[in-house]
Amino acid sequence: MIVGLLMLAGGAVTGLFGSLLGLGGGVLIVPLLTLGFGLPLREAVGVSLVCVIMTSSAAAGVYLERHVANLRLGMTLELFTALGALVGGSIAFLLDDRLISLLFAGLLGYVSLTMARTRPAVTLDAAELAVAPAEDHARPTMLDRLSGDRYRIRNLGRGVVGAVGAGVASALLGIGGGIVKVPLMHLVMGVPLRVATATSNLMIGITAAASTVIYVIHGGIDPYVAGPTAIGVFLGATAGSRLGHRVDLGLLRVLFVIVLGYTAIQMSLRVIG
Amino acid sequence: MATRETVGAATERRIGRVLIAVTYLSVGLLTTGVGLLLAAGVSPLAGGPGLDLATIGSGIAALDPAGFLWLGLLAVIAAPISRVVLAAFAYARTDDWQMVAVAVAILAIIAIGIATAGTATF
Repeated sequence: MIVGLLMLAGGAVTGLFGSLLGLGGGVLIVPLLTLGFGLPLREAVGVSLVCVIMTSSAAAGVYLERHVANLRLGMTLELFTALGALVGGSIAFLLDDRLISLLFAGLLGYVSLTMARTRPAVTLDAAELAVAPAEDHARPTMLDRLSGDRYRIRNLGRGVVGAVGAGVASALLGIGGGIVKVPLMHLVMGVPLRVATATSNLMIGITAAASTVIYVIHGGIDPYVAGPTAIGVFLGATAGSRLGHRVDLGLLRVLFVIVLGYTAIQMSLRVIG
Repeated sequence: MATRETVGAATERRIGRVLIAVTYLSVGLLTTGVGLLLAAGVSPLAGGPGLDLATIGSGIAALDPAGFLWLGLLAVIAAPISRVVLAAFAYARTDDWQMVAVAVAILAIIAIGIATAGTATF
């Protein structure tokens, strides 16, 4: 019983941290389960994918209700993230655990460095949203149809390639892939940050679902572990979305960078040991 | 007559509500399963059974934690898939066949994943 409660609490903490810092929980759940509970890496990745779907579905539902996410763009890109996830989910069972641990340690190191350098988020105003309005064509092009009312999509080809990569990373490492998709849509494709974040969240569900079914069929998901962890993550993420404005994010960010750096080292040691 | 944009916004709201409803359904099922697991004093590290669709119904009837947990996990996976299915129907109603094709292709990829994982041996 104590292990179950610890798993629930651990999931809640990762969900809370992830929500407060704008990360999916995936980057934290895998280390929690492998380093904290001694689970095999692939099983931890499978459970993490379940948690990622759960938190993203709840948030994506709200984004769709509020008409913030770009459903048309999200579905077009998730066709390619799902393709990447299919490839990633299939090769995940062929790769050596140590290689996946190494990739995960690299991911943690990257996220840690990125967060250490990140400046406070700037609120988007109407002027920024209207930087590149959709052009008025007699016959709308593909890009016109994917663009929003007040912004125009560019570099769709690069977006597609990046989406495939995000799908592979999601399936191999048990992450939502927002860390790839948000910068891709915002910086490369010209999508306003708020819309990119909402659309990425929408895409996470189907991306993770495409590989989760493979993990389920291969016996890579233990329901006894997935249940308490997913409930914990869901509760933590829900609490985080309500506490966000009351917490000193500067201090939290420093703490998080330290925890991620330490976890990256521990994951690297698994490769050596 | 409603414009295409208005139809899109209303549909997105509806899809969003379904996504939230399925997510809360899965939370309810998983919470019940976890509650039964903890009440039975079973450690999560003891190793749960694999997915067996044929036994989920009887497991739930017998208040077996695994039955509730597996149904909850399947509901989690079904949430985003149901969103794509709903979107496909919505786009079909507005004659947006390009987006219908995108939705069908996404579902086909998931189906391929299930089919190939079911036949592959590792």
